[in-house]
Amino acid sequence: MPSPIRILTAVPICDGHDSAINTINLEFIRHGIEVIYLGYHRPVADIVRAAIQEDVQAIGISSYNGGHIEFFAAVVDLLRKKGADDIKVFGGGGGTITHDDAAAMRRKGVDEIFFAGTSLDDMVEFVHRRYGKPRAKRPRPKSFDQELAHKLSDIEEAYGIGKRKRRTPNAQRRTQSVKIANPKAQIANPTVIGFTGPGGAGKTTLIDELVLRFLNRDPKGRIAILSHDPSVVGEGALLGDRATMINSQDDRVFMRSVATRGQAGGLSPATHDCLALLAQANFEYVIIETVGTGQEAMPFQKNGIVDSTVLVMNPDYGSRLQLQKIVMLDLADIVVVNKSDLQRARTAHTEIEQRLEQNRPVRRSLGASGRDQQLVDTVAKRHRDSGVDRLFELISK
Amino acid sequence: MSKLGQVVESVEKYNKFVLDQVKRARTDQKFGRDLLGRWNDTKAKIPVARTPTGLPLPRLALPEIDEPGEIARFIFSEGLPGEFPYLNATYREMYLEPVRETESFEKNGNKTGKKITQPEEPTRLFSGLMLAEDTNERFHYLTRHQRTHRLSTAFDGPTLYGLDSDADGVFGKIGEGGVAIDTVEDMVRLYDGFDLGSPNFSASMTISGPAPMIMAMYIAAAKRRFGTKVVPKLRGTVQADIFKEVQAQNETIFPIEPSLRFLTDMVEFTTREMPRWYPISISGYHIGEAGSTPVQQAAYTLSNGFAYAEMFAARGIPVDQFGPRLSFFLDCGLDAEYIALARVSRRIWAIGMRDVFGAGPRAQLFKLHTQTSGRSLIAAEFKNNLTRTATELILSYMNATNSCHSNSADEPFTTPSEEWIRLAAHGQGILLEESGIFKHTMNMLSGSPGMKAVERAVEAAILDEFREIERLGGVLAAVEERYQRSQIQNAAHRYEQQIYDGTRPIIGLNKYRDGDDEVPEVKLVRTPRAKQQLQVDRLRKFKKKNTDKAKRALDNLAEVADRGKNVFPALLEAAEVCSLGQITGRLQEVVGRFRPMV
Repeated sequence: MPSPIRILTAVPICDGHDSAINTINLEFIRHGIEVIYLGYHRPVADIVRAAIQEDVQAIGISSYNGGHIEFFAAVVDLLRKKGADDIKVFGGGGGTITHDDAAAMRRKGVDEIFFAGTSLDDMVEFVHRRYGKPRAKRPRPKSFDQELAHKLSDIEEAYGIGKRKRRTPNAQRRTQSVKIANPKAQIANPTVIGFTGPGGAGKTTLIDELVLRFLNRDPKGRIAILSHDPSVVGEGALLGDRATMINSQDDRVFMRSVATRGQAGGLSPATHDCLALLAQANFEYVIIETVGTGQEAMPFQKNGIVDSTVLVMNPDYGSRLQLQKIVMLDLADIVVVNKSDLQRARTAHTEIEQRLEQNRPVRRSLGASGRDQQLVDTVAKRHRDSGVDRLFELISK
Repeated sequence: MSKLGQVVESVEKYNKFVLDQVKRARTDQKFGRDLLGRWNDTKAKIPVARTPTGLPLPRLALPEIDEPGEIARFIFSEGLPGEFPYLNATYREMYLEPVRETESFEKNGNKTGKKITQPEEPTRLFSGLMLAEDTNERFHYLTRHQRTHRLSTAFDGPTLYGLDSDADGVFGKIGEGGVAIDTVEDMVRLYDGFDLGSPNFSASMTISGPAPMIMAMYIAAAKRRFGTKVVPKLRGTVQADIFKEVQAQNETIFPIEPSLRFLTDMVEFTTREMPRWYPISISGYHIGEAGSTPVQQAAYTLSNGFAYAEMFAARGIPVDQFGPRLSFFLDCGLDAEYIALARVSRRIWAIGMRDVFGAGPRAQLFKLHTQTSGRSLIAAEFKNNLTRTATELILSYMNATNSCHSNSADEPFTTPSEEWIRLAAHGQGILLEESGIFKHTMNMLSGSPGMKAVERAVEAAILDEFREIERLGGVLAAVEERYQRSQIQNAAHRYEQQIYDGTRPIIGLNKYRDGDDEVPEVKLVRTPRAKQQLQVDRLRKFKKKNTDKAKRALDNLAEVADRGKNVFPALLEAAEVCSLGQITGRLQEVVGRFRPMV
């Protein structure tokens, strides 16, 4: 099955009106569209950067706080400047956008403006009709990020249509190249870190805080994030991690949101190849975030590309016995107890520490990377949290 | 148990106390007789007004009861206007015509034509557009017929998010939806020509995330114009409601904890130095507009209020110092709950403040500003909105609101234009001054059996919400796990669904629709590019002029913030020489940025 339509949605800077877009997002994903939601109060640069990195067909902007003519035009202009005018722009703003405004916005290159009273069905129909066609052959990418984004789309598409890779020669070459035993041998040695753990443990926030530390420490380097959200084959998905990330909206961060498109275990069929591509693409760090996983998941077990794995736990995992069942506790290099400001966290730390103790002899006998597992307590939501500092030190060693 | 749990208990206990008093009035003869005597005295003292047609009417209408148990129920459960638990009103008299034309049952009553000072008009209209000088002109226009100047200020998007007008990508939003304020100089222009220290002036500023910075700028501007002596005389309100921002409105710039800390810093300062200022307006309006049910609106507003009270008390500010400086802001729509929502809120607040926080009478008052519901207005056949707003106004005044804003009928599709603003304002005049509904008898429509039924149902539902929040660990814990947010979003969804399936009739939309669905021709109030450029230019000039001073002020501010001391004095200094965006940016370096909840 070909890749679903991918749309980026956002609310402009200085605008917190997110109730309309929340409803529209849900309607889109119910109708087979992958929605990358960037959230509210987002500047033009963040929207365009995200749209290019995510390689979406179109950007939907919901604006209720005025200044829409300028804002929409600025998005169109920046897309054009970045050579990404194959990405279209549409939007709405209830009663705040008049018909005259909409006419002016169309003249400036906006595809469509929906007025108050437009039904959700009409919007969905519009997106399918206007952006559902296969993409025309695209001109040479104008930037490194754009090229990377196109290639990632090709890989996903190749997997989607079930190995019929001859229709996408690029993807074929790429998938071949990742068959190299150690793809990292070819590149400037990025550190590839896998983050996994149950939903709601705070993986995304933690990654965003680590990105902030990286950007502050390293004045030039770049970082890539491959972030997963669940979806069913042929269905839509809400890819919403960007909406809560405040530090990762930066030119030095390349982020790609991937829907699992039916694969269980926390990753997508295309993950391995996407990761291999990113690992060769001159980033200092490549971070991969799984979907929220269950106890049995071991997303990185066979994946030689990942240098170290971080399991992010919530202090609320249930009884102590539950810990025995979590497979990643055997495998992770670093275990993080996030939300360690919660009352339950002290007990959680002690119990997990004991659980990791059990692994020690086994891991030593297997020579598992020769390192003991580390246990770190963090409060990712807290600015300048010392636990996150420590985690950053550990993974940047 | 958190304070909120204690509030639930205190209300339950108080309701039991009322029943005990009723019983006692019926069994203890002396107690009953005393009550009856006091009741008759009270009634006898009520002045009588003459309507223009010559009809005598009491200025306060009391129920026709002469049985001690029922008298006890009224006195203790409702309270006379201005008396605990304030169900009927915060003050003894509201809305009434001056007493010149009245006579009294009392033999030696005051019948002389002595000059009587008129109370403030309850009308307070929200305004803010383009640059400071434009809003200033609108303020003068709006208040030209008023005895007292009560201004209510709307800010533009960049200001609400603590950004400067020259920040990346905000150009088109300068002066849109509110006034652009970057510096103390803008603040001087905004209220130019008004006497900020006068007892007849008050300024309300609807801003929360950057409230401490804007407050500091207001003080700095007042000092520039009237000298330092004006500070204790300043009257007004700044919204500063962080909880509702996180729950509903999404205009938060620092993480929750430092946001609350800076708020408390400001409250500590203003309650000490500016005894007439309201440093927070605990707001349900935006919760209601975001789609909550009326009960959720009242429950979250009250519980947020109690959480603030707990926080301020924990800082060591005496409850009788901050209590009288808290004010509230509610939405009034067309649902049945609005017949008594504010009345019940006033009662719960008073009981909680008295019995849990040990507040004295002045700190028990739920002082309320009401705005009619913007969400209830629609674009289709928009002139119907006049009727909607008028109905909501009657409900608001039946609830004895202390001040009120009436929405313009053209709001669903544009920034209100002068014609519709005037109609909205005159709606209040027609109700309060032209009609005889409130001006002769302040509580003409109160106390019906229907209203009492709504009161009981609403109070029980609010207490249930309190119990749920308490179960989650209190307001802050519930906010952090997005409890209120999710509840509001659910309710909003249900509301839309009801409109869609017709179970919630909206005339002209899903009922009695004429088919004529044209958006009305409107002249839009847009900020011209040249004005936006002017704002950017003068901001840059200000920054250039103050480069060195700003650096010192910001360094000092950052250091104070980092040490965890009260930042407000440092903010006052910074406000003289720094722009809003400079201050926001520097503080965010220290405490971080707000991470959106989605």
